[in-house]
Amino acid sequence: MLNIEHLKKHYDNFSLDCSLELMSGCVTGLIGQNGAGKSTTFKAILGLISTDGGNITILGKDIKDFTAKDKEDLGVVLSDSGFSGYLKIKDIIPILQNMYTKFDKSFFIEQIQRFQLPLNKQIKDFSTGMKAKLKVLVAISHNAKLLILDEPTAGLDVIARDELLEMLREFMEKDEERSILISSHISSDLESLCDNLYMIHDGKIILHEDTDVLLSDYALLKVDAEQYGKLDKQFILRSKKETYGYSCLTNQKQYYIENYPKIAIEKGTIDEVITMMIRGTEQ
Amino acid sequence: MKGLLVKDFKLMMLQKNFLLLILAIVIGMMVFTDDMAFPLGFLSFVVSLFTVSTISYDDFDNGNAFLFTLPITRNNYVIEKYSLGLLFGCIAWILATVLGIIATVLKGTLPITDLLLVSLIILPIMIIIQAIMLPFQLKFGGDKGRIAMIGAFGGLAIIALIIVKGANIIFDIDLVHILNTLPTVSMGLLVVIAVIVALLLLLISMKISLSIMNKKEF
Repeated sequence: MLNIEHLKKHYDNFSLDCSLELMSGCVTGLIGQNGAGKSTTFKAILGLISTDGGNITILGKDIKDFTAKDKEDLGVVLSDSGFSGYLKIKDIIPILQNMYTKFDKSFFIEQIQRFQLPLNKQIKDFSTGMKAKLKVLVAISHNAKLLILDEPTAGLDVIARDELLEMLREFMEKDEERSILISSHISSDLESLCDNLYMIHDGKIILHEDTDVLLSDYALLKVDAEQYGKLDKQFILRSKKETYGYSCLTNQKQYYIENYPKIAIEKGTIDEVITMMIRGTEQ
Repeated sequence: MKGLLVKDFKLMMLQKNFLLLILAIVIGMMVFTDDMAFPLGFLSFVVSLFTVSTISYDDFDNGNAFLFTLPITRNNYVIEKYSLGLLFGCIAWILATVLGIIATVLKGTLPITDLLLVSLIILPIMIIIQAIMLPFQLKFGGDKGRIAMIGAFGGLAIIALIIVKGANIIFDIDLVHILNTLPTVSMGLLVVIAVIVALLLLLISMKISLSIMNKKEF
Protein backbone atom coordinates (compact mmCIF):
# COMPACT_ATOMS: atom_id res chain seq x y z
CA MET A 1 0.00 0.00 0.00
CA LEU A 2 2.69 2.40 1.06
CA ASN A 3 6.42 2.02 0.98
CA ILE A 4 8.95 4.56 2.14
CA GLU A 5 12.66 3.99 1.64
CA HIS A 6 15.12 6.30 3.31
CA LEU A 7 12.98 9.36 2.98
CA LYS A 8 15.26 12.29 3.74
CA LYS A 9 14.43 15.84 4.67
CA HIS A 10 16.82 18.31 6.23
CA TYR A 11 15.95 21.38 8.22
CA ASP A 12 18.35 23.62 10.11
CA ASN A 13 18.29 21.62 13.31
CA PHE A 14 16.44 18.50 12.31
CA SER A 15 16.97 15.83 9.77
CA LEU A 16 14.66 13.00 8.84
CA ASP A 17 15.69 9.60 7.55
CA CYS A 18 12.70 7.34 7.64
CA SER A 19 11.78 3.98 6.11
CA LEU A 20 8.49 2.24 6.66
CA GLU A 21 6.11 -0.13 5.00
CA LEU A 22 2.35 -0.38 5.22
CA MET A 23 0.70 -3.64 4.19
CA SER A 24 -2.70 -3.97 2.62
CA GLY A 25 -5.41 -4.58 5.22
CA CYS A 26 -3.26 -3.30 8.07
CA VAL A 27 -3.44 -0.43 10.49
CA THR A 28 0.04 0.87 11.09
CA GLY A 29 0.79 3.37 13.82
CA LEU A 30 3.56 5.90 13.93
CA ILE A 31 4.37 7.02 17.44
CA GLY A 32 6.82 9.57 18.62
CA GLN A 33 7.21 12.72 20.66
CA ASN A 34 6.29 16.17 19.42
CA GLY A 35 8.86 17.16 16.85
CA ALA A 36 10.07 13.59 16.26
CA GLY A 37 9.28 13.81 12.54
CA LYS A 38 5.77 12.37 12.28
CA SER A 39 4.17 15.32 10.53
CA THR A 40 7.19 15.82 8.29
CA THR A 41 6.92 12.19 7.19
CA PHE A 42 3.19 12.58 6.50
CA LYS A 43 3.66 15.79 4.56
CA ALA A 44 6.35 14.19 2.45
CA ILE A 45 4.10 11.22 1.68
CA LEU A 46 1.38 13.64 0.57
CA GLY A 47 3.73 15.70 -1.57
CA LEU A 48 3.17 18.82 0.53
CA ILE A 49 6.87 19.33 1.05
CA SER A 50 9.86 18.63 -1.16
CA THR A 51 12.20 15.84 -0.09
CA ASP A 52 15.98 15.61 -0.10
CA GLY A 53 16.17 11.96 -1.05
CA GLY A 54 14.60 8.54 -0.84
CA ASN A 55 11.62 6.89 -2.49
CA ILE A 56 7.94 6.92 -1.65
CA THR A 57 5.52 4.54 -3.33
CA ILE A 58 1.79 4.82 -2.67
CA LEU A 59 -0.69 2.24 -3.97
CA GLY A 60 2.02 0.91 -6.26
CA LYS A 61 2.87 4.27 -7.78
CA ASP A 62 5.85 6.51 -7.22
CA ILE A 63 4.72 9.70 -5.54
CA LYS A 64 6.08 11.75 -8.44
CA ASP A 65 3.67 10.01 -10.81
CA PHE A 66 0.71 10.30 -8.45
CA THR A 67 -2.10 12.16 -10.23
CA ALA A 68 -5.12 14.08 -8.99
CA LYS A 69 -7.27 11.10 -9.91
CA ASP A 70 -5.05 8.78 -7.85
CA LYS A 71 -5.53 11.04 -4.86
CA GLU A 72 -9.18 10.03 -4.78
CA ASP A 73 -8.01 6.75 -3.23
CA LEU A 74 -6.55 8.57 -0.24
CA GLY A 75 -8.34 9.90 2.79
CA VAL A 76 -6.31 12.40 4.73
CA VAL A 77 -6.46 14.06 8.13
CA LEU A 78 -3.79 16.61 8.98
CA SER A 79 -3.34 17.76 12.55
CA ASP A 80 -2.91 21.43 11.75
CA SER A 81 -5.04 21.88 8.65
CA GLY A 82 -8.50 21.26 7.28
CA PHE A 83 -11.25 22.86 5.26
CA SER A 84 -11.34 26.65 5.56
CA GLY A 85 -12.87 27.54 8.93
CA TYR A 86 -15.25 29.92 7.20
CA LEU A 87 -17.09 27.09 5.47
CA LYS A 88 -20.03 25.17 6.88
CA ILE A 89 -20.76 21.47 6.54
CA LYS A 90 -23.55 22.26 4.10
CA ASP A 91 -20.95 24.05 1.92
CA ILE A 92 -18.54 21.13 2.14
CA ILE A 93 -21.01 18.56 0.82
CA PRO A 94 -21.22 19.98 -2.74
CA ILE A 95 -17.45 20.58 -2.72
CA LEU A 96 -16.78 16.92 -1.89
CA GLN A 97 -19.37 15.79 -4.42
CA ASN A 98 -17.49 17.65 -7.11
CA MET A 99 -14.07 16.56 -5.90
CA TYR A 100 -14.58 12.82 -5.44
CA THR A 101 -16.35 10.63 -7.97
CA LYS A 102 -17.10 8.09 -5.23
CA PHE A 103 -18.27 10.49 -2.54
CA ASP A 104 -20.98 8.74 -0.52
CA LYS A 105 -23.33 11.58 0.34
CA SER A 106 -25.94 9.52 2.18
CA PHE A 107 -23.26 7.91 4.38
CA PHE A 108 -21.73 11.31 5.08
CA ILE A 109 -25.04 12.88 6.09
CA GLU A 110 -25.97 9.84 8.16
CA GLN A 111 -22.70 10.15 10.09
CA ILE A 112 -23.11 13.90 10.50
CA GLN A 113 -26.44 13.19 12.17
CA ARG A 114 -25.01 10.35 14.23
CA PHE A 115 -22.38 12.64 15.73
CA GLN A 116 -24.76 15.60 15.87
CA LEU A 117 -22.49 17.89 13.90
CA PRO A 118 -24.20 21.17 12.95
CA LEU A 119 -24.78 21.61 9.22
CA ASN A 120 -25.21 25.32 9.35
CA LYS A 121 -22.35 26.53 11.51
CA GLN A 122 -18.92 27.73 10.44
CA ILE A 123 -16.25 25.13 11.14
CA LYS A 124 -14.10 27.64 13.01
CA ASP A 125 -16.81 27.78 15.69
CA PHE A 126 -16.85 23.99 16.16
CA SER A 127 -15.48 22.39 19.34
CA THR A 128 -12.19 20.50 19.08
CA GLY A 129 -14.06 17.20 19.15
CA MET A 130 -16.48 18.24 16.42
CA LYS A 131 -13.65 19.44 14.19
CA ALA A 132 -11.77 16.18 14.65
CA LYS A 133 -14.84 14.07 13.84
CA LEU A 134 -15.58 16.10 10.74
CA LYS A 135 -12.02 15.71 9.49
CA VAL A 136 -12.16 11.94 9.88
CA LEU A 137 -15.62 11.80 8.31
CA VAL A 138 -14.39 13.66 5.26
CA ALA A 139 -11.51 11.20 4.97
CA ILE A 140 -13.69 8.07 5.16
CA SER A 141 -16.66 9.18 3.03
CA HIS A 142 -15.32 8.63 -0.46
CA ASN A 143 -14.33 4.96 -0.43
CA ALA A 144 -10.61 5.57 0.01
CA LYS A 145 -8.18 2.67 -0.09
CA LEU A 146 -5.64 4.24 2.20
CA LEU A 147 -6.16 6.60 5.11
CA ILE A 148 -3.30 8.83 6.17
CA LEU A 149 -4.16 10.29 9.53
CA ASP A 150 -1.82 12.66 11.32
CA GLU A 151 -2.78 12.99 14.98
CA PRO A 152 -6.53 12.60 14.43
CA THR A 153 -7.09 12.21 18.17
CA ALA A 154 -5.00 15.17 19.38
CA GLY A 155 -6.73 17.19 22.08
CA LEU A 156 -9.78 14.94 22.36
CA ASP A 157 -11.43 13.70 25.54
CA VAL A 158 -11.70 9.97 26.17
CA ILE A 159 -15.24 9.63 24.79
CA ALA A 160 -14.59 11.58 21.62
CA ARG A 161 -11.42 9.57 21.13
CA ASP A 162 -13.31 6.29 21.44
CA GLU A 163 -15.96 7.43 18.97
CA LEU A 164 -13.29 8.40 16.51
CA LEU A 165 -11.45 5.11 16.82
CA GLU A 166 -14.79 3.34 16.39
CA MET A 167 -15.31 5.20 13.09
CA LEU A 168 -11.94 3.94 11.92
CA ARG A 169 -12.71 0.37 12.94
CA GLU A 170 -15.97 0.49 11.00
CA PHE A 171 -14.07 1.84 8.01
CA MET A 172 -11.65 -1.09 8.14
CA GLU A 173 -14.42 -3.67 8.52
CA LYS A 174 -16.10 -2.69 5.26
CA ASP A 175 -13.25 -3.78 3.02
CA GLU A 176 -10.33 -6.08 3.77
CA GLU A 177 -8.03 -4.28 1.37
CA ARG A 178 -8.19 -0.97 3.17
CA SER A 179 -5.24 0.30 5.19
CA ILE A 180 -4.57 3.07 7.63
CA LEU A 181 -1.40 4.90 8.57
CA ILE A 182 -2.05 6.78 11.76
CA SER A 183 0.17 8.84 14.02
CA SER A 184 -0.29 9.88 17.60
CA HIS A 185 1.67 10.69 20.66
CA ILE A 186 -1.01 9.01 22.80
CA SER A 187 -0.01 5.38 22.63
CA SER A 188 -3.13 3.95 24.25
CA ASP A 189 -5.08 5.16 21.20
CA LEU A 190 -2.93 3.05 18.97
CA GLU A 191 -2.64 0.04 21.22
CA SER A 192 -6.24 -0.94 20.55
CA LEU A 193 -6.32 -0.06 16.85
CA CYS A 194 -2.97 -0.79 15.22
CA ASP A 195 -1.64 -4.09 13.95
CA ASN A 196 1.91 -2.86 14.10
CA LEU A 197 3.77 0.18 15.31
CA TYR A 198 6.71 2.23 14.19
CA MET A 199 8.43 4.38 16.75
CA ILE A 200 10.13 7.50 15.50
CA HIS A 201 12.64 9.60 17.42
CA ASP A 202 14.80 12.48 16.20
CA GLY A 203 13.80 11.76 12.63
CA LYS A 204 14.73 8.09 12.75
CA ILE A 205 12.70 4.92 13.14
CA ILE A 206 13.99 3.31 16.33
CA LEU A 207 11.55 0.43 16.62
CA HIS A 208 9.13 -1.53 14.46
CA GLU A 209 7.07 -4.27 16.05
CA ASP A 210 3.70 -5.95 15.87
CA THR A 211 1.43 -4.55 18.54
CA ASP A 212 0.70 -8.05 19.88
CA VAL A 213 4.39 -8.84 20.24
CA LEU A 214 5.02 -5.48 21.84
CA LEU A 215 2.36 -6.17 24.45
CA SER A 216 3.22 -9.83 25.07
CA ASP A 217 7.01 -10.11 24.75
CA TYR A 218 8.30 -6.72 25.84
CA ALA A 219 8.79 -6.20 29.54
CA LEU A 220 10.60 -4.06 32.07
CA LEU A 221 13.02 -5.76 34.45
CA LYS A 222 13.54 -3.92 37.69
CA VAL A 223 16.83 -4.99 39.24
CA ASP A 224 19.21 -3.74 41.90
CA ALA A 225 22.88 -3.16 41.17
CA GLU A 226 23.92 -6.68 42.14
CA GLN A 227 21.24 -8.38 40.08
CA TYR A 228 22.12 -6.10 37.21
CA GLY A 229 25.72 -7.24 37.32
CA LYS A 230 24.73 -10.90 37.05
CA LEU A 231 22.05 -10.35 34.41
CA ASP A 232 22.46 -11.93 30.97
CA LYS A 233 22.15 -8.86 28.80
CA GLN A 234 21.80 -10.43 25.36
CA PHE A 235 18.06 -9.73 25.18
CA ILE A 236 18.18 -6.33 26.88
CA LEU A 237 17.40 -3.53 24.43
CA ARG A 238 17.85 -0.56 26.71
CA SER A 239 18.66 0.03 30.35
CA LYS A 240 18.36 3.02 32.58
CA LYS A 241 19.76 3.88 36.01
CA GLU A 242 17.10 4.31 38.68
CA THR A 243 17.18 5.07 42.42
CA TYR A 244 16.72 1.37 43.26
CA GLY A 245 19.22 0.14 40.67
CA TYR A 246 18.37 -0.36 37.03
CA SER A 247 15.34 -0.81 34.85
CA CYS A 248 15.91 -2.77 31.68
CA LEU A 249 13.77 -3.19 28.60
CA THR A 250 13.65 -6.63 27.02
CA ASN A 251 11.83 -8.08 24.06
CA GLN A 252 12.19 -11.63 25.45
CA LYS A 253 10.10 -11.53 28.59
CA GLN A 254 9.76 -15.31 28.81
CA TYR A 255 13.54 -15.86 28.88
CA TYR A 256 13.94 -13.72 31.97
CA ILE A 257 10.85 -15.11 33.69
CA GLU A 258 12.30 -18.60 33.34
CA ASN A 259 15.91 -17.87 34.15
CA TYR A 260 15.61 -15.14 36.75
CA PRO A 261 12.54 -16.01 38.82
CA LYS A 262 13.55 -13.54 41.56
CA ILE A 263 13.61 -10.47 39.36
CA ALA A 264 10.61 -8.13 39.31
CA ILE A 265 9.26 -8.19 35.77
CA GLU A 266 6.58 -5.78 34.65
CA LYS A 267 4.54 -6.10 31.51
CA GLY A 268 5.66 -3.30 29.21
CA THR A 269 3.08 -0.75 28.16
CA ILE A 270 3.70 1.10 24.95
CA ASP A 271 4.40 4.29 26.88
CA GLU A 272 7.05 2.57 28.96
CA VAL A 273 8.62 1.04 25.88
CA ILE A 274 8.77 4.47 24.26
CA THR A 275 10.28 6.06 27.33
CA MET A 276 12.90 3.35 27.63
CA MET A 277 13.73 3.41 23.93
CA ILE A 278 14.31 7.15 24.11
CA ARG A 279 15.76 7.68 27.57
CA GLY A 280 17.55 4.38 28.13
CA THR A 281 21.08 3.59 27.02
CA GLU A 282 21.66 0.97 24.39
CA GLN A 283 23.28 -2.30 25.44
CA MET B 1 -11.39 21.74 -10.69
CA LYS B 2 -15.17 21.97 -10.43
CA GLY B 3 -14.90 21.22 -6.74
CA LEU B 4 -12.49 24.14 -6.35
CA LEU B 5 -14.83 26.48 -8.19
CA VAL B 6 -17.69 25.40 -5.94
CA LYS B 7 -15.49 26.03 -2.88
CA ASP B 8 -14.50 29.50 -4.05
CA PHE B 9 -18.07 30.35 -4.91
CA LYS B 10 -19.10 29.34 -1.38
CA LEU B 11 -16.28 31.44 0.05
CA MET B 12 -17.27 34.47 -2.01
CA MET B 13 -20.87 34.07 -0.95
CA LEU B 14 -19.69 34.71 2.61
CA GLN B 15 -19.35 38.32 1.56
CA LYS B 16 -22.54 38.55 -0.44
CA ASN B 17 -23.91 41.38 1.69
CA PHE B 18 -20.81 43.40 1.01
CA LEU B 19 -21.09 42.60 -2.71
CA LEU B 20 -24.70 43.76 -2.74
CA LEU B 21 -23.65 46.95 -0.99
CA ILE B 22 -21.03 47.60 -3.67
CA LEU B 23 -23.66 47.00 -6.35
CA ALA B 24 -25.99 49.47 -4.63
CA ILE B 25 -23.20 52.07 -4.49
CA VAL B 26 -22.46 51.56 -8.18
CA ILE B 27 -26.11 51.94 -9.15
CA GLY B 28 -26.37 54.99 -6.89
CA MET B 29 -23.35 56.60 -8.55
CA MET B 30 -24.75 55.92 -12.00
CA VAL B 31 -28.08 57.44 -11.06
CA PHE B 32 -26.81 60.50 -9.26
CA THR B 33 -23.62 61.43 -11.12
CA ASP B 34 -22.80 61.74 -14.79
CA ASP B 35 -19.43 60.07 -14.39
CA MET B 36 -19.75 56.56 -15.81
CA ALA B 37 -16.08 55.54 -15.88
CA PHE B 38 -15.68 55.36 -12.12
CA PRO B 39 -18.65 53.09 -11.26
CA LEU B 40 -17.81 50.88 -14.25
CA GLY B 41 -14.23 50.39 -13.16
CA PHE B 42 -15.13 50.21 -9.48
CA LEU B 43 -17.47 47.23 -9.86
CA SER B 44 -15.06 45.29 -12.08
CA PHE B 45 -12.10 45.88 -9.77
CA VAL B 46 -13.91 45.14 -6.54
CA VAL B 47 -15.22 41.83 -7.88
CA SER B 48 -11.71 40.95 -9.10
CA LEU B 49 -10.47 41.71 -5.62
CA PHE B 50 -13.09 39.37 -4.20
CA THR B 51 -11.89 36.48 -6.33
CA VAL B 52 -8.32 37.15 -5.20
CA SER B 53 -9.46 37.22 -1.57
CA THR B 54 -10.43 33.54 -1.83
CA ILE B 55 -6.67 32.85 -1.78
CA SER B 56 -6.46 34.37 1.71
CA TYR B 57 -9.41 32.25 2.80
CA ASP B 58 -7.65 29.13 1.56
CA ASP B 59 -4.54 30.19 3.43
CA PHE B 60 -6.39 30.79 6.71
CA ASP B 61 -5.23 28.41 9.48
CA ASN B 62 -2.83 26.63 7.12
CA GLY B 63 -5.82 25.38 5.13
CA ASN B 64 -3.69 25.01 2.00
CA ALA B 65 -1.96 21.91 3.33
CA PHE B 66 -5.26 20.04 3.54
CA LEU B 67 -6.51 21.50 0.27
CA PHE B 68 -3.62 19.92 -1.60
CA THR B 69 -4.35 16.49 -0.19
CA LEU B 70 -7.68 16.58 -2.06
CA PRO B 71 -7.76 15.21 -5.61
CA ILE B 72 -6.34 18.34 -7.22
CA THR B 73 -2.88 19.35 -8.31
CA ARG B 74 -1.09 22.61 -7.68
CA ASN B 75 -1.46 23.43 -11.35
CA ASN B 76 -5.22 22.85 -11.15
CA TYR B 77 -5.33 25.27 -8.25
CA VAL B 78 -3.52 28.08 -10.09
CA ILE B 79 -5.51 27.62 -13.29
CA GLU B 80 -8.73 27.63 -11.27
CA LYS B 81 -7.83 30.94 -9.59
CA TYR B 82 -7.13 32.58 -12.96
CA SER B 83 -10.33 31.17 -14.44
CA LEU B 84 -12.28 32.37 -11.43
CA GLY B 85 -10.81 35.86 -11.71
CA LEU B 86 -11.55 36.10 -15.42
CA LEU B 87 -15.01 34.59 -15.05
CA PHE B 88 -16.23 36.81 -12.21
CA GLY B 89 -14.28 39.84 -13.47
CA CYS B 90 -15.99 39.56 -16.85
CA ILE B 91 -19.42 38.96 -15.33
CA ALA B 92 -18.99 42.08 -13.20
CA TRP B 93 -17.67 44.03 -16.17
CA ILE B 94 -20.63 43.00 -18.37
CA LEU B 95 -23.07 43.78 -15.56
CA ALA B 96 -21.46 47.20 -15.02
CA THR B 97 -21.55 47.94 -18.75
CA VAL B 98 -25.21 46.94 -19.03
CA LEU B 99 -26.07 49.09 -16.00
CA GLY B 100 -24.05 51.92 -17.55
CA ILE B 101 -25.89 51.63 -20.86
CA ILE B 102 -29.25 51.65 -19.10
CA ALA B 103 -28.24 54.71 -17.07
CA THR B 104 -26.92 56.67 -20.08
CA VAL B 105 -29.91 55.79 -22.22
CA LEU B 106 -32.36 56.83 -19.51
CA LYS B 107 -30.47 60.00 -18.69
CA GLY B 108 -29.33 60.72 -22.24
CA THR B 109 -26.01 62.10 -21.03
CA LEU B 110 -23.40 60.38 -23.18
CA PRO B 111 -23.50 58.80 -26.62
CA ILE B 112 -23.53 55.00 -26.18
CA THR B 113 -20.34 54.63 -28.25
CA ASP B 114 -18.48 56.79 -25.75
CA LEU B 115 -19.72 54.67 -22.89
CA LEU B 116 -18.75 51.46 -24.67
CA LEU B 117 -15.32 52.88 -25.29
CA VAL B 118 -14.87 53.69 -21.60
CA SER B 119 -16.05 50.22 -20.73
CA LEU B 120 -13.69 48.64 -23.28
CA ILE B 121 -10.73 50.52 -21.86
CA ILE B 122 -11.55 49.20 -18.39
CA LEU B 123 -11.46 45.57 -19.53
CA PRO B 124 -7.70 45.32 -20.25
CA ILE B 125 -6.91 47.34 -17.13
CA MET B 126 -8.93 44.91 -15.04
CA ILE B 127 -7.14 41.94 -16.59
CA ILE B 128 -3.72 43.51 -15.97
CA ILE B 129 -4.59 44.24 -12.35
CA GLN B 130 -5.56 40.61 -11.87
CA ALA B 131 -2.35 39.54 -13.58
CA ILE B 132 -0.40 41.56 -11.02
CA MET B 133 -2.45 40.67 -7.94
CA LEU B 134 -2.64 36.89 -8.32
CA PRO B 135 1.08 36.00 -8.22
CA PHE B 136 1.66 38.37 -5.30
CA GLN B 137 -1.20 36.88 -3.35
CA LEU B 138 -0.04 33.33 -4.08
CA LYS B 139 3.57 34.10 -3.20
CA PHE B 140 3.08 36.11 -0.02
CA GLY B 141 -0.37 35.07 1.19
CA GLY B 142 -2.97 37.33 2.83
CA ASP B 143 -1.28 40.11 4.81
CA LYS B 144 2.15 40.34 3.23
CA GLY B 145 0.50 39.95 -0.18
CA ARG B 146 -1.53 43.11 0.32
CA ILE B 147 1.54 45.15 1.21
CA ALA B 148 3.51 43.71 -1.70
CA MET B 149 0.59 44.50 -4.01
CA ILE B 150 0.41 48.13 -2.92
CA GLY B 151 4.13 48.36 -3.63
CA ALA B 152 3.66 46.80 -7.05
CA PHE B 153 0.88 49.17 -8.05
CA GLY B 154 2.89 52.13 -6.77
CA GLY B 155 5.82 50.94 -8.88
CA LEU B 156 3.57 50.52 -11.90
CA ALA B 157 2.15 54.03 -11.51
CA ILE B 158 5.68 55.45 -11.31
CA ILE B 159 6.72 53.53 -14.46
CA ALA B 160 3.66 54.82 -16.33
CA LEU B 161 4.42 58.34 -15.18
CA ILE B 162 8.04 58.04 -16.25
CA ILE B 163 7.00 56.77 -19.70
CA VAL B 164 4.54 59.62 -20.21
CA LYS B 165 6.89 62.30 -18.84
CA GLY B 166 9.91 60.73 -20.53
CA ALA B 167 8.19 60.69 -23.92
CA ASN B 168 7.25 64.28 -23.34
CA ILE B 169 10.73 65.49 -22.38
CA ILE B 170 12.97 63.32 -24.56
CA PHE B 171 10.90 62.87 -27.71
CA ASP B 172 8.62 65.84 -27.19
CA ILE B 173 5.54 63.62 -27.62
CA ASP B 174 2.46 64.20 -25.46
CA LEU B 175 1.09 60.65 -25.03
CA VAL B 176 -1.93 61.76 -23.01
CA HIS B 177 -2.88 64.27 -25.70
CA ILE B 178 -2.48 61.65 -28.44
CA LEU B 179 -4.73 59.24 -26.54
CA ASN B 180 -7.34 61.91 -25.98
CA THR B 181 -7.47 63.04 -29.59
CA LEU B 182 -7.34 59.60 -31.19
CA PRO B 183 -10.31 59.06 -33.51
CA THR B 184 -12.84 56.49 -32.29
CA VAL B 185 -11.94 53.92 -34.94
CA SER B 186 -8.24 53.77 -34.08
CA MET B 187 -9.21 53.99 -30.41
CA GLY B 188 -11.22 50.80 -30.94
CA LEU B 189 -8.18 49.17 -32.53
CA LEU B 190 -6.03 50.32 -29.63
CA VAL B 191 -8.46 48.74 -27.17
CA VAL B 192 -8.40 45.43 -29.06
CA ILE B 193 -4.59 45.48 -28.98
CA ALA B 194 -4.69 46.39 -25.29
CA VAL B 195 -6.99 43.45 -24.51
CA ILE B 196 -4.70 41.06 -26.39
CA VAL B 197 -1.64 42.44 -24.60
CA ALA B 198 -3.46 42.19 -21.27
CA LEU B 199 -4.39 38.56 -21.92
CA LEU B 200 -0.77 37.81 -22.85
CA LEU B 201 0.34 39.41 -19.59
CA LEU B 202 -2.22 37.30 -17.75
CA LEU B 203 -0.74 34.17 -19.34
CA ILE B 204 2.78 35.20 -18.33
CA SER B 205 1.50 35.95 -14.85
CA MET B 206 -0.08 32.49 -14.74
CA LYS B 207 3.23 30.90 -15.73
CA ILE B 208 4.89 32.75 -12.85
CA SER B 209 2.12 31.69 -10.45
CA LEU B 210 2.48 28.06 -11.52
CA SER B 211 6.16 28.09 -10.68
CA ILE B 212 5.46 29.90 -7.37
CA MET B 213 2.90 27.29 -6.34
CA ASN B 214 5.02 24.33 -7.40
CA LYS B 215 7.87 25.53 -5.20
CA LYS B 216 5.71 26.11 -2.12
CA GLU B 217 5.93 23.89 0.98
CA PHE B 218 2.96 23.43 3.25
